[in-house]
Amino acid sequence: MILGALLVLLAVFGAPLFTVIAASAMIGYQREGIDLMAIAIEVLGIAGMPMLSAIPLFTFAGYLLSKSNAPQRLVRVTSAILGWMPGGLALVALAACAFFTAFTGASGVTIIALGAILYPALKQDGYPDNFNLGLVTTSGSLGLLFAPSLPLILYGVVAEISIDDLFKAGILPGLLMLVLLGGYSLWINRHNRQPLKLFSWKEVAAALWESKWEIPLPIFVLGGIYSGFFAVSEAAAVTALYVLVVEVFILREIKLGELPEVMRESMLLVGGILIILGVSLASTNYMIDAGVPQQLLAFITEFVSSQASFLFLLFLFLLVLGAILDIFSAIVLVVPLILPIAAQYGVNDFHLGIVFLAAMQLGYLTPPVGLNLFIASYRFDRSIMNVYAATFPFLLILMVSVLIIMYWADLSLWLLPR
Amino acid sequence: MSETTGLADRLERWGTALENAALVVLLGAMMLLAVAQIVLRIFFSFGFSWADELVKLFVLWIALIASVAASRNNRHLRIDVLSHFVAEKYSRIPRIIVDAFAAFMCAVLAWHSWRYIQLSIEFDDTVLVDFPAWIAYILLPLSLVLMCYRFLLQCGSNLLKTFRPDEADGESE
Repeated sequence: MILGALLVLLAVFGAPLFTVIAASAMIGYQREGIDLMAIAIEVLGIAGMPMLSAIPLFTFAGYLLSKSNAPQRLVRVTSAILGWMPGGLALVALAACAFFTAFTGASGVTIIALGAILYPALKQDGYPDNFNLGLVTTSGSLGLLFAPSLPLILYGVVAEISIDDLFKAGILPGLLMLVLLGGYSLWINRHNRQPLKLFSWKEVAAALWESKWEIPLPIFVLGGIYSGFFAVSEAAAVTALYVLVVEVFILREIKLGELPEVMRESMLLVGGILIILGVSLASTNYMIDAGVPQQLLAFITEFVSSQASFLFLLFLFLLVLGAILDIFSAIVLVVPLILPIAAQYGVNDFHLGIVFLAAMQLGYLTPPVGLNLFIASYRFDRSIMNVYAATFPFLLILMVSVLIIMYWADLSLWLLPR
Repeated sequence: MSETTGLADRLERWGTALENAALVVLLGAMMLLAVAQIVLRIFFSFGFSWADELVKLFVLWIALIASVAASRNNRHLRIDVLSHFVAEKYSRIPRIIVDAFAAFMCAVLAWHSWRYIQLSIEFDDTVLVDFPAWIAYILLPLSLVLMCYRFLLQCGSNLLKTFRPDEADGESE
């Protein structure tokens, strides 16, 4: 107990999470009389997990895209297609960010790559400053529920459920978030309903032509995965190689000499996630052996009997969790424990996954450790509290959408094969 | 003094270059191997049985080397409250403590994984059909030792800054 409190304290003081998790696993193993060598075996178990290669490959492809001029081209295409609507630019921002986040895995690069283009553009178009800041900050994690985002893949790997089906489950809930945020944007700017520009087939064609090299990407990645032609890890390999060839050798927007630096930078996040995954394999194994999920379940059933109230409890728990832990650590650490509990309350595995990720998306926007708040504060030179206040209305809307996703299971399960 | 800092600088540069080179090679090899496997599957309905396992080993190696790189750049996932809300002067002491703890944990983990490697040699474990497993796994203790060294360095430099602020400033120039 004292040791546990000490570990929590160390974690709060900023000890690398993998060391804290490793320590907790060691204490557990020691108590059970298991040789500590077993932890090494668990970490090496990273090499035994299916689909995991998708994580480094998609992350690398995403970083490469964000360093090229693909973000500008994406904004041009989206504004050519959506810009004619009243409040067009706000919708453009939401759509482009969601798309880009899905492809770059919600690691914060969206705010840096797209926010830098959209924030000044929104301002120039006469949108209120706080609205712009909130919109751009929120959009940084908006495409989280769309394939092939990293959290979805990691969740599938950890929960041992079909990643392809998880991708399908995320589509409608992700669209719901987009629609609600889009509606809010239109309502806020109801007095400034100028379209961004008139619709023109010529501009659409020109914008599409400019992005001709990137257009095939979503088609073969999403088409390939949804049709079952590619496994997720295969799609990731093809994407990474394709993006590499296009951005470095055909468009030459990234010099060959810059490539090692881009690779390194993208892999920093991957290393951080996977080492935590490795030590978590050890700690969850211990906790499952020690019957922690059953104890938790016994504790919870004392207070909660219905699925509805369980879900609400889960919602509160995930809000707190998301405010402290990043989404990747949270998936790896918490999902194995709540899976058996949620199953007891009859929550569908895929529904649980979407609820979990949607709720954790809120964590990007809540202090004290919301990643998007810090990136936006740094990138746009505003104080954290300022960014938080600007983001708050968007956070409320996302919360509403998470509650809808939570209590409307069919929204997640609609597109799944039955 | 300048000679030791010169050596430290060189170690730093070489270390970074080595990590980058390893990541480039592994990531590149993983991409090519995985794509080659797809091409073989689609056009020749054929595949190397060892390729999947090798890709998974690449993932493990990338994970380990990237973790070492993440320690160098101070980018491990952590609950980052202190550095955002507490002035640098006051966050130094907790940081010294957590870095010392991290170094200690890496050392313990390295020791136990080394013990596992020895066992694996003794039992002639293999990966990829008949390749000695310890060659594939040796990177685990090695990377943990490197991470331990990283955390010790950070811990030491923060100690220096806390107790001899003037000298530490002079050194970094």
